[in-house]
Amino acid sequence: MTHAITVTGLTRRFGDFTAVDDVSFHVEAGEIFGYLGANGAGKSTTIRMLCGLLQPSAGQATVAGCDIAHDPRGVKRAIGYMSQKFSLYLDLTPQQNLEFFAGAQGLSGKARKRAVAEALDRAGLTDRADATTGALPGGVRQRLALASARLHAPKILFLDEPTAGVAPDARREFWREIRAVAAQGTTVFVTTHHLDEAEFCARVGLMVDGKLVALDTPDGLKAAHVPGRFLGVQGAPQALLRQAPGVVAVEPFGLRWRVRLAADSPLVAPEALAWWLAERGAGDARVEAGQPTLEDVFLALVDPA
Amino acid sequence: MRTEILAVAVKELRQTRRDPRTLAVLVIAPIIQLVLLGFAVNLDVTHVPVVVADADQTAESRAFTRELLAGDAFDPVAATPAAPDAMAQVVAGDAAIALVVPRGFAADLKAGRPTTVQALADGSDAQRAVVAQNAMGAFALRWGLQHSPLTALAQAQAPVGRTVVQPRVLYNPTLDSRIYFVPGVAATLLLVVTLVVTAMGLAREKESGTLEQVLVTPMSSWAVVIGKVLPYGLIGLLDLALAVALGSAIFDVPIRGFLPLVGLGGSLYLLNTLGLGLFVASAARTQQQAFMGAFFVILPMTLLSGFMSPISNMPAWLQPLTLLDPMRHMVEIMRGVLLKAATFEDLSRQYGILAGMGTALFSGAALALKRRLS
Ligand SMILES: Nc1ncnc2c1ncn2[C@@H]1O[C@H](COP(=O)(O)OP(=O)(O)OP(=O)(O)O)[C@@H](O)[C@H]1O
Ligand SMILES: [Mg+2]
Repeated sequence: MTHAITVTGLTRRFGDFTAVDDVSFHVEAGEIFGYLGANGAGKSTTIRMLCGLLQPSAGQATVAGCDIAHDPRGVKRAIGYMSQKFSLYLDLTPQQNLEFFAGAQGLSGKARKRAVAEALDRAGLTDRADATTGALPGGVRQRLALASARLHAPKILFLDEPTAGVAPDARREFWREIRAVAAQGTTVFVTTHHLDEAEFCARVGLMVDGKLVALDTPDGLKAAHVPGRFLGVQGAPQALLRQAPGVVAVEPFGLRWRVRLAADSPLVAPEALAWWLAERGAGDARVEAGQPTLEDVFLALVDPA
Repeated sequence: MRTEILAVAVKELRQTRRDPRTLAVLVIAPIIQLVLLGFAVNLDVTHVPVVVADADQTAESRAFTRELLAGDAFDPVAATPAAPDAMAQVVAGDAAIALVVPRGFAADLKAGRPTTVQALADGSDAQRAVVAQNAMGAFALRWGLQHSPLTALAQAQAPVGRTVVQPRVLYNPTLDSRIYFVPGVAATLLLVVTLVVTAMGLAREKESGTLEQVLVTPMSSWAVVIGKVLPYGLIGLLDLALAVALGSAIFDVPIRGFLPLVGLGGSLYLLNTLGLGLFVASAARTQQQAFMGAFFVILPMTLLSGFMSPISNMPAWLQPLTLLDPMRHMVEIMRGVLLKAATFEDLSRQYGILAGMGTALFSGAALALKRRLS
């Protein structure tokens, strides 16, 4: 399989500060690639370099076969970009915004008309095409921005925190769309703060202070960085759980306790822990198998203590 | 390329149409300013208080002063035989001009010798002083031609003499300053409108982040720049036409020359002002910075253009600098075509400078912006 994006030693400095530090990875064609990291980790800076908006200080990258430093125009032709900050014209209507960006992509006449109508339909705005964009709710705006980024059917989509500040059900809706886009063969490079969203990604890269510290499938990351097992326990005191052999951590999780056990703990099976608790007077406790999350991976990597 | 330019231009126009403030800056403000400035700025020389120091006290000297002071332009406020007394009155502010007729005025005149009448003007109102002096000079020349026994000789020299007198008096015989002023106001408005809108528009896009979304399209920077300034250039030309029409309708500014020459001047001038707008835009990060930047361009350009105070009144070292001011050439073109029926050849220097500077400014600014943006 060819690589949609190849990044080698990519670095960007702002003065003395290194925002992106010697990052290397590749993205396969047609996959959803998640780019995770805390505020200021360097996610947007990476994307802006890959979109030809910012020159790297060092390193190279090719996007859709075009070198970002030498052929930014070729890169721009192949990509769609949705920036972190909503950046369509708030004072224009959705229709006018789409007409402008279609024209900017070189579409004219019938092709433009068709692309605009299709985009309005995708954003669910066909009957609100003449509203003022600034007056639309956040979730709708994001869908409009995504539709606008897709006007010219780009091979690669860069989405920089597309669901920041979007309500949960609108977020689910949005991700349904992202997966549909990817299913049609478009490569999606997406950054997010929401670790639950990263579960939808084929592979996830994790940025900490400008460095790419981990890159794998979500399951691979969990296996590699959060060894041990998780159990959900209801109806037992935290202090008692802490005394169980092999328990690493006990955290509240809804109405339950989320118990993390070392992989070699004798109590990794839910029945074993339930038995152990019953022996100590907590026979009512309900124990279920649990899953590690990317949150655990993230915490393990950022704060390995 | 055409598709992209058109897309940008249409977008700009749509944003303008939806934004009452920009629309006001572009169309309504120019009209109001033209009318207000036209009425408010009155440089007409009428009822200038004059103190007469007639040291000659002859029939001729009395006739000279009487005829000079006969019209509306000058009002005699006092008469004294001593020149120092007359000057004291000017210093005290009782009179704006001291007219000093020397002893021997009549004798010189009869003998056909050159003679000198001094007009000492209060320079604190430079504009009035210059216009009044010119009016007096013109009168003296006319009077001299009529009364000299060497009339024949004087008339033979007249073409030379007439060119010495400021053309202003020749082409604007009533010294109606509005006629002279309207072209300057029009050039200022064009500058303000196009410079501010271009600079602010780009700064607004930088601030709101929309510029980044534009730059990630494969559109060339040239398409962005041309598409952005094209509508404002056209609106600027519309403003120019409006200014000429209003000037002619309200202030009786004559249209003696070939109007398209004003349009050509306007187009070349706009190349300059839009280029300057782009320069400001490439340097400014915020709308506030853009506004300040625009202000710092507009102020010196207006002052150096010579439309408020004559360039000949400026310090010698400053005068060559005014050649670098596009507004100066635009004002000269407008005054030339409207008032003097000047032809393209008459104004070829102005057109040449505007075209050269405009091309340099515009492409320089576009390149600076391109570098800044990528
Ligand atoms: N143009 C710039 N000049 C100076 N510093 C910058 C510039 N752009 C970004 N930075 C700095 O680089 C670092 C990385 O920024 P970046 O926007 O890439 O982070 P991010 O991972 O996208 O964060 P967020 O989740 O907040 O969007 C930040 O500390 C930021 O302040
Ligand atoms: Mg970011």
